[in-house]
Amino acid sequence: MTTFWDIVHLLTATPIIFVAIMGLTWGILGGALPGISASITMALVLPFTYTMDPAMAIALLACVYIGAEYGGSIPAILIRTPGTNSSAATVIDGYELNRQGRAGEALGISLMSGVIGSLFGLAMLALLTEPLSWLALAFTPPSYFGLGILGLSVIASMTGGSLVKGLAAAVIGLMISTVGTDPISGVTRYTFDIPDLLNGVEPVLVMVGLFALTELMSQSGSTAVLALKDSVRIRLPNLAMMNRLKRSQTIGCILGLFEGLTPGGGGSIAAFMSYNEARRWSKTPEKFGKGSEEGVAAPEAANNTVASTALIPLLSFGIPSSNSTAVLLGGLLMHGLLPGPRLFEQNPQVIDSLYVGSFIAIIAQIGVGVVLLPAAVWLVNRPRPYRAGFIFALILSGIYTLNMATFDLGLALALGVVGYLMRIAGFPFLPMILGVVLGHMVESSYRRSLVLSGGDMMVFLQDPICVGLLLAAAGFVIFSLSRELRDARKAKLQEALG
Amino acid sequence: MNKDSLSGLVLLALAGGYYWATGFIADSTLEDEVGAVGLPHALTLALVLLGLILLVRGLLAARAAAAHAATGPGAARVEDEERDARVPRALGFLAIGAAYVVLLPYLGYLVSVALLIGAVSLFEGAPRRWTVPLTAIGGALLYWAVFVKLLGVNQPAGLLFQGWLS
Amino acid sequence: MKFKTGLAFMLAGAIVGGSLFAGKADAQPAPYPQKVVTLVTHSSPGGGSDVFLRELSKYLAKYIDATFIVENVQGGSGAKAVARVAAAPADGSVFYATTPTYIYTSLLSKPPKTYKDLEPLVNVFADSEVVFTREDGPFKTLQDVIDHAKKDRGRWGAANPASLERQAAEQLKRASGVNAAIVTHEGGGDMMLNVLNGTLDIGVGEYQELRSQIEAGKIRVLATFNPERLPQKPDVPTVKESGFNVELVKFRGLAGPKGVPEDVTTIWDAAIQKVLNDPEYKKAYTEEVLIAEFIPHKDYPAFVNNFAETTEGFLKETGAIK
Repeated sequence: MTTFWDIVHLLTATPIIFVAIMGLTWGILGGALPGISASITMALVLPFTYTMDPAMAIALLACVYIGAEYGGSIPAILIRTPGTNSSAATVIDGYELNRQGRAGEALGISLMSGVIGSLFGLAMLALLTEPLSWLALAFTPPSYFGLGILGLSVIASMTGGSLVKGLAAAVIGLMISTVGTDPISGVTRYTFDIPDLLNGVEPVLVMVGLFALTELMSQSGSTAVLALKDSVRIRLPNLAMMNRLKRSQTIGCILGLFEGLTPGGGGSIAAFMSYNEARRWSKTPEKFGKGSEEGVAAPEAANNTVASTALIPLLSFGIPSSNSTAVLLGGLLMHGLLPGPRLFEQNPQVIDSLYVGSFIAIIAQIGVGVVLLPAAVWLVNRPRPYRAGFIFALILSGIYTLNMATFDLGLALALGVVGYLMRIAGFPFLPMILGVVLGHMVESSYRRSLVLSGGDMMVFLQDPICVGLLLAAAGFVIFSLSRELRDARKAKLQEALG
Repeated sequence: MNKDSLSGLVLLALAGGYYWATGFIADSTLEDEVGAVGLPHALTLALVLLGLILLVRGLLAARAAAAHAATGPGAARVEDEERDARVPRALGFLAIGAAYVVLLPYLGYLVSVALLIGAVSLFEGAPRRWTVPLTAIGGALLYWAVFVKLLGVNQPAGLLFQGWLS
Repeated sequence: MKFKTGLAFMLAGAIVGGSLFAGKADAQPAPYPQKVVTLVTHSSPGGGSDVFLRELSKYLAKYIDATFIVENVQGGSGAKAVARVAAAPADGSVFYATTPTYIYTSLLSKPPKTYKDLEPLVNVFADSEVVFTREDGPFKTLQDVIDHAKKDRGRWGAANPASLERQAAEQLKRASGVNAAIVTHEGGGDMMLNVLNGTLDIGVGEYQELRSQIEAGKIRVLATFNPERLPQKPDVPTVKESGFNVELVKFRGLAGPKGVPEDVTTIWDAAIQKVLNDPEYKKAYTEEVLIAEFIPHKDYPAFVNNFAETTEGFLKETGAIK
């Protein structure tokens, strides 16, 4: 089979700028196709990098990663479908802005926030790999438990008005996360002897089922027309807007930095948490969920930062912190490069081209975005009947790529029904998605900690990182609940008055 | 029966089903103290509690609503009915997807996607003109080019057309 | 986000190996009934078996006159790849890269096609399975670790929950009669962090995954589970030599559909022996600490069945399967 990459690998003698832009564009395309995650996008090019010069191959993969992390936000904003796991948080306000006819603005904000996040992450990678790598080492199983609980605590502010329903959704999400191979004993749970379930249910299936299919199903019945009020032009945020977004982007960058360092995250936790934090620190928190620019900027800055900082544990210990970095590790090993302290001494040219390539890709992202995005906006504004057909076909084609299994397609459709029922009954989606994303980490690190301590619960209190994270989580929950209660009381009061 | 109490019942049923499936998890001596069933049992309990709360709350609200029923239908009810009317349409939409999943292994990717796009477009009210089949075939070719040729993902070739489409 | 060693996605990326890289052959490659040979693996591009096949196919073309293609059929922890190969024609055109994973998956999830539906062809390598600790830790020998676990309570790591490493750690615990908590992880890297930061006394894992840390002097290898000492680390004793009767062979070989004709298997027997002696390949795989472990076609099925029986016994004993 001759594909596009066969041609590209013949051209790799060409300068790195070509490699960087090709990789970035490829990454954006793959990331933007729902179901094709950043890791799959990278894995699809990996075989073709085998014959490339190692320095170029690694730069190419890193650029694909950057592009894919950014690309995921495009369908999140335009068709309510997160292209990658970590862009699920972008759906909330991004799609809302799109519904208000401000798709061009939302895409511009996500583009610039992504560039800022990537640049920050690259700077951290280039300058602080050594000190930051030791931070990654400080995370023990109890610390991961604390981190998982901190992630789950975000649920308290995402219950959509009903605490009971929000918690129930979270519990269902956690139940989904228990499907597959048990993390400690290795027995199978809820797999019913179906091999497709051995590795569990992919979070992206849940996201696509809940967000995208539910939206398509609801629109099918509705007569409301989603009119394009804006032109297809992409509006990059102006200086005044950038200034307003500064705070949320900073939050995204910092949380992205930490998540990149800790194996297991992959960007989704940072994206959700920075969304939550951006709301807390925002001057206009009431706009969140109703089309807030900051609600797009924070998660996008976060997940793009992760694309660079996730390389820190990879390059210093050879430890992949996500599926995407695992593919990059495979790329290094294929070329006989061993990640670790000596990589920097023995193969500086690889590290250099990685940095240079990433930098070029990040800058080029603005140009590529401005060229590609109007086409995407135009596409999703075709007459509604055709649009529905194309989106549905796109989703089903993309999901198939995950495992090459029609089983996954059926599962996504079933989750679509679940989402539709939840929507009718007024259950929020986000707690369920957080449950699916975090369940595995919380459960396995909890049990692993107890195995280590021989069942002594004190193990969680003896780990300072864990204690800090748990206290932060408790603080979040109290803060969010008191705010929700206050809002509810206010609403009731207004109802009584009006 | 209102929405909350119905949701409560569904949650209880779900908890029951989950608990039943938990019974199939094998006991292993490689087990830790919490065990493979530790979290599932905790989750079952939590879901039962939440389901009961919803059920009770729904029933109480229903009683309160019944007391007020004489005062005339609220705006909320009209909205509910409108939404209920849309449910069959939404399920119909999903049924097209289900048909795609069933046909995919037989007809192959290219044909199935064309049928999917065409069927959904008609279902969503596209005018019955030559544009529908044209768009469907064009769209299918586009997706086939992107997924199979450009990305190199092997979508099913289909039992009927094996050999000359892949 | 779930992150497991078997990346939970699957794709089929194919690369033409063989003829592109063949270089100058020392001898004429043996004629082969098939023009194209597809080597199927359940691992993702860049994963263990994938790298193994791509490297192997690079050199195989010198000895077998065919073009080799690597196909990644991920998903279902190997169940899909096994089904793909089991359904392929038994004419020497399709083979599967065997590792203990396919035995584990066959036993744990009872997929429609299992290892019993494939015919083992030849074995090529054994991975180096080692016990390791951090360099600045208190343990200098395996005996130190066992002594500590006798007095106190050991904390041992295994890379994955249902895996050969887990089995090895459990057997070592039993053989030495000590009290140790065996902590499973989400892969070798995850475990290595916990060994480096002192959470664990030792880890049981593949040498390949530790190479950079060993070279950097951060990790010390205490013993190997392999039957013989590692040629690259002759001063490291085997676990058996250290006094505990546990050994394991994490094999890497090939298997095909049932009924591969004899003329094909004879060609493979000869070619694998030659390729293992190829100086360039030898240099490459020695660097990766792979141990050449040629098992010819006539003995390989018995070897795999024996391995499967031992594993099944272990899983039944622990109650993981009935």
